[in-house]
Amino acid sequence: MKAYLSLIRIDLKLAFRNRSVIFFNYLFPLMFFFIFAQMMGAVVPISYVVGMVLVLGILGNGLFGAGMRAVNEREANILRRYKVAPITATPLLVSSMVTGWVAFMPSAILILSIAHFRYKMTFPAHMLSLLGLISLGVITFRSMGLIIAAVVNSMQEGNILIQLLYMPMLFLSGATFPVERLPRWGQIVSHFLPASHLVTGFRGIFQEDQSLFENWPSVLALTTTLTICTFVATQLFRWEKEEKIRTSAKLWVLGALAPFVILGCYQIFAAP
Amino acid sequence: MGSDTPVQVEGLTKNYGDFPAVKGIDFEVHAGEVFGLLGPNGAGKTTTVEILEGLRPRTGGRVSVLGLDPGLQSKQIKDRIGVCLQFTNLPDKMKVREALELFASFHTRTTGIDELLERLQLREKEKAFYSQLSGGQKQRLAFALALINDPQVLFLDEPTSGLDPQARLEIHELIEKLRSQQRTILLTTHYIEEAEKLCDRVAIIDGGKIIAIGTPREIQAKTLGQSLVEIRCDSPIPEIELPQWNSSEKSQISEDRKSLTVVSTHPARTLVEIVKWIDQQNIDLADVHLKRPSLEDVFIELTGRKLRE
Repeated sequence: MKAYLSLIRIDLKLAFRNRSVIFFNYLFPLMFFFIFAQMMGAVVPISYVVGMVLVLGILGNGLFGAGMRAVNEREANILRRYKVAPITATPLLVSSMVTGWVAFMPSAILILSIAHFRYKMTFPAHMLSLLGLISLGVITFRSMGLIIAAVVNSMQEGNILIQLLYMPMLFLSGATFPVERLPRWGQIVSHFLPASHLVTGFRGIFQEDQSLFENWPSVLALTTTLTICTFVATQLFRWEKEEKIRTSAKLWVLGALAPFVILGCYQIFAAP
Repeated sequence: MGSDTPVQVEGLTKNYGDFPAVKGIDFEVHAGEVFGLLGPNGAGKTTTVEILEGLRPRTGGRVSVLGLDPGLQSKQIKDRIGVCLQFTNLPDKMKVREALELFASFHTRTTGIDELLERLQLREKEKAFYSQLSGGQKQRLAFALALINDPQVLFLDEPTSGLDPQARLEIHELIEKLRSQQRTILLTTHYIEEAEKLCDRVAIIDGGKIIAIGTPREIQAKTLGQSLVEIRCDSPIPEIELPQWNSSEKSQISEDRKSLTVVSTHPARTLVEIVKWIDQQNIDLADVHLKRPSLEDVFIELTGRKLRE
């Protein structure tokens, strides 16, 4: 327990000393919020913009924040130093998730407050459910980022893979364009994207005043993803850049993708 | 496996795919000694040490560190040993004291952080970021991290590699201090002078095999067993036939006839006779040098190559 607390404490200090963490968690979402609020505020409810910016922030925090940082620490031989200490990978992964959450939550609350006080957005009926969904989203996507970190061999590879996941999730999950307006193929793809469950969850809470319980399919999808991704990330964790990815690792990655494939197929076939 | 031999290695092998990196080596490290693994890059030193530290699985053989098997009890071993790895870093924005506090929290037994900062002359830098430290200071911090759990055995993998001469000297002094505290230390190096200066015993490793083991003196004696006596005179040595001095094997005079070099198996005896002979020739001595064979000479004799080729 001492190791977990120490790692979380130092990770938080390091995060807030890092300008890019401040930029991508605070300035970047705020910039997008103001731009989209000005551009779309008259066309869509401001809560739609808030949901969009929250998804954008959560994806960035998870994929770039957790994923790229872990790759960077491995490339710089920092993880190698931890390897000689009597700890497993689990405290490192847990501290990465907690740090991401602590770094993101003030930003989320700031955006909600600006939306409320500046743009007259009414707070959702289930505010705790909203904060719960944001928290679940942050740690889920950080666990995905940590899997990406485990399977790529360099920062360059990591950047490419993250962009390949980030862009479709941004544009096809409904975060930026409503899924209903996407072409048929886009609508099918959206069913398989983890971010779609986050978008659906935010819609339910913001626009239909649902609670987390009423939003159980999204919560279940994200919780399953979080559980599987965290487990897989601990199995695939690589301390050194020289460590090769095991063949079994590829099967673990397929395992991590399984819930989205199953849920996507279910949604396609269950759709009216 | 007794506490007087905290590290025991028997028939250790390690293959990377089809490549045998370590080919069945045996050695022991006794309590309180500094044992060196000396060899060129790629000889298998780091692989051996990393197996002992519980960082890599072995292919075959028996290994014991503090009576524990690194393949099965790596967490317990890591808790009780200190490791200074080659090529490691800390996050740029981590402060010196924070690093010590963090790594202390991983161990069940720790030593005082303030005491370590003093001992390693890092007190002034305790609030400095890692990125602000010099190469020598970073290495001193790595030593501090290795000592944070008051380890029973210390593994130092190429501790001075890549450091400037001043920083290297600082690290040598640090190792000598640890040696005076009777710590058991296993260090790897490809610097001959480091092994000769710091190690009580040395194993010369090449191509995954130990080719010589013992104290530096023993290794030198066993292989070449010859020293050079070099005499420099003020005036030229007369052109007469040189006598056969006691224990001398080969004699050579320089072109200006002012230097005499003699290969000897018992240099002290030979030297006494040469000095007498020089005196009989009425020549004044300018300089006398006795040169023992270095571990580099031993390595060249055993492998036909230079250590850092």
